[in-house]
Amino acid sequence: MFIGQDITRVDALDKVLGTAAFAHDLKKNNMLFACVVRSSRPHAVIKRIDVSAARALEGVVTILSHEDIPGENLFGAIKKDQPFLAAGRVRYKGEAILVVVATTEEAARRAADLVSIEYEDLGNISDPFISIQSPVLIHDGGNLLSHRKVVKGDVAKGFESSDVIVENAYSTTWIDHAYMETEAGLAYLDDRGRVVVASSTQNIHYKMKEISRLLAIPPEEVRVVQATTGGGFGGKLDVTVEGYLALAVWHTKRPVFMRYTREESLLAQTKRHPLYIVYKTGARKDGSLTAVEVNIVGDTGPYNSYGETVCLRAAVHATGPYEVPNVLVNSRMFYTNNPVSGAMRGFGVPQLALAHESQLDEIAGLIGMDPLDIRMKNALKRGSLTATSQALNHSAGLLETLKAVEPFWRERRKEGPGSGFGLGCMYYGIGNTGISNPSSCYLTLTPEGRVEMHSGVCDIGQGSDTVLLQILCDALGMEEMGIDLVRGDTDTSYDAGSTSASRQTYISGMAVCNAAQKLKKYLKEHGHYDGKPLKEIYRDAGDKGVPIFEGHFDPPTTAPDPETSQGAPYATYAFATHMTQVDVDEVTGVCKVIKVHAAHDVGRAINVSSVRGQIYGGVAMGIGLALMEEFIPGKSGSFDNYYLPTSMDMPEVEAMIVEDREPTGPFGAKGVGEPALIPQAAAIVNAIKDATGVRMRQLPCDIERLKLALEKDKENKG
Amino acid sequence: MKTIHFTLNGKRTSVDVEDNETLLHALRERLGITSVKEGCGIGECGTCTVLVDDEPHYSCLTLASKANGRDIKTVEYLSSSGVLHPLQEAFVRSGAVQCGYCTPGMLLSAYSLLLKNADPDAHDIKEAISGNLCRCTGYIQIEEAIKNAAEVCKCNSQG
Repeated sequence: MFIGQDITRVDALDKVLGTAAFAHDLKKNNMLFACVVRSSRPHAVIKRIDVSAARALEGVVTILSHEDIPGENLFGAIKKDQPFLAAGRVRYKGEAILVVVATTEEAARRAADLVSIEYEDLGNISDPFISIQSPVLIHDGGNLLSHRKVVKGDVAKGFESSDVIVENAYSTTWIDHAYMETEAGLAYLDDRGRVVVASSTQNIHYKMKEISRLLAIPPEEVRVVQATTGGGFGGKLDVTVEGYLALAVWHTKRPVFMRYTREESLLAQTKRHPLYIVYKTGARKDGSLTAVEVNIVGDTGPYNSYGETVCLRAAVHATGPYEVPNVLVNSRMFYTNNPVSGAMRGFGVPQLALAHESQLDEIAGLIGMDPLDIRMKNALKRGSLTATSQALNHSAGLLETLKAVEPFWRERRKEGPGSGFGLGCMYYGIGNTGISNPSSCYLTLTPEGRVEMHSGVCDIGQGSDTVLLQILCDALGMEEMGIDLVRGDTDTSYDAGSTSASRQTYISGMAVCNAAQKLKKYLKEHGHYDGKPLKEIYRDAGDKGVPIFEGHFDPPTTAPDPETSQGAPYATYAFATHMTQVDVDEVTGVCKVIKVHAAHDVGRAINVSSVRGQIYGGVAMGIGLALMEEFIPGKSGSFDNYYLPTSMDMPEVEAMIVEDREPTGPFGAKGVGEPALIPQAAAIVNAIKDATGVRMRQLPCDIERLKLALEKDKENKG
Repeated sequence: MKTIHFTLNGKRTSVDVEDNETLLHALRERLGITSVKEGCGIGECGTCTVLVDDEPHYSCLTLASKANGRDIKTVEYLSSSGVLHPLQEAFVRSGAVQCGYCTPGMLLSAYSLLLKNADPDAHDIKEAISGNLCRCTGYIQIEEAIKNAAEVCKCNSQG
């Protein structure tokens, strides 16, 4: 048995030795260095570009613009609307305009500084509420990127039948992924003249396709390899360095390396979407929810990236993990000239959790009910209908996560003034929303008698390589881990889809199970289970060879109805409850998180240590989201003024694993990557209310904001 | 350019460096020690941590010329005897490694702590790694690993 054990991660040894080759560490003889010239204006027409001084600098090899792109200049995971290199117009500060290639990194950066660009400014749309009514259009089709609705029952009637109604506005801001390794990669031409790009990435096959479009060459002429990747969290899903590297190698025919500085990563890369949420909740005196009406306005910046995805996912998760008979959600995403917002751990759901969890506590307060009891009363469970009227027929362990924290909740005791406790719950659909998102892999045998697994899954540090190996070992009934892993290379693997949406354990795990079934049948037919070693099976296959055994899985979902989003957008959901204890210094506004109980229904923990690691890491990121992280355009230029949680900010965390097994998942597993983060900020905000009586509706509630709110509260009371 | 002489992971080393060159640059680009990472370039993240005379320093803020005559250690030192140091063993076994980009710096800060304090408590450990950012782990399994390694080191020195 490998599942449920603390199997040591296969990548850990190289990482503690310092020998793991991250994208930053890649090198080739004779390699050139590239860097990007970026816009200093949020919205402008480019009138003139003067590269003469840059070109004259010693070491500069070439300077490339959009005119040097042989294929399509536009890329995008959902919609092709973002230029690799601006074509006459820039739509955000930091947008890429030119690629400078030089013999040294220093020369490339110095040359980039010498480029002079004349702009003619256009109206700067700095806010989605300005965008709504502005005559200035960021794209020809208008400033509204997406509008998604969830309609279930009749909210007007629902509110009529309510004993209490609570309505409030909430807002969140930009958050940077802040992976420790910034974007980087190396590109070169292989012996056959194909373009090879090795980079820090979450999705090799997607990037292969984008490079093929950029260079107007068939995808087979492109190879993308995942270097050891120093974190992703959604920020390495979009094309970053890969396009510039491919273009540079295409023109220079020499190996090219590039890496973003931290300042460049902060300036240019995607952020978590700021969402503005107006939330109305109705309930009866017994605590049962009657209606929820939500209006969401989001800021996607000037390009789609994952804006449509966030718009829809935020909408279908807006009620939180509760049975609500009447639901009306309007979720709208607008273009602005702010930073591009994209995928970040949770795709809009952490922002909504702030709102639905705060609302539930307010309702509980009004009717005099305990916050845990009101959650238990309304919790989704097996047989419940979600906001999209999807019947939860399988794994649905929210109640079990609530029960896991219940003893600690019932026994909680405030430790003096400023001490408080809060709860946060969440559910999260595993995989992409209402669209096909398949994963494929293949298996074969080696002459040495080992199983070879070919995987296109990008392990970005979360541990999917180890988890997939554990799944394969158990699916084949192996007693030892006799598997060679061939991974992260478009030449040697099938498309497994992106490492996003907490999908790899569930979806790619099922693809591995599917392939394992076929291999197992073959091995059975060839006497392996009667004692014949794999080496002999390989030898006896002779010239014919051992075939490859393909595995596929695409989670069963239905497309959301375009008007109501009703349907089954996900095959399964993860559930969680966090209970957080805080200590607020009411004079300084410093909020310290003291203790967290984090209970997660993961279906089945394939690797217990890695599941704990996800939970701890999610709690840390939730603390950042709640209390300190805020990317302010034009101000947050480096790690000097973008604050991340350190070891000193971390509380004691009790990770509690609930396993309500999912019958459609690999050995019952679902996912945990994003769920780990989602309820934490909400639990902190509820704990601050409990501690101080002050309800914070804007994130982050950092020292300044909290101090101000506490002072205002004192004045009002005084 | 000038030549500096120092001990690198126990070996006498000489290298030519520019006056304004960082130790990070000299180690990575001139000496090929890529375990020393750049995460922010301004001394905020700790991925570039090295030990100078057994004290953790941000190599991105340290001039290479300051290494002259000093003892410099990078993570390679920990396993230079051919076996994993108890800290490395514990990091592997405790799930302290996720993406791994912060790992070499974390290990060096932890190593420096254990040199000074064979029996660190939870607060000592938190403080020792407070200058090393990690975005993946939430630090908890790293702290567990350091605690476990301290126990092993204590046993080894008693044995």
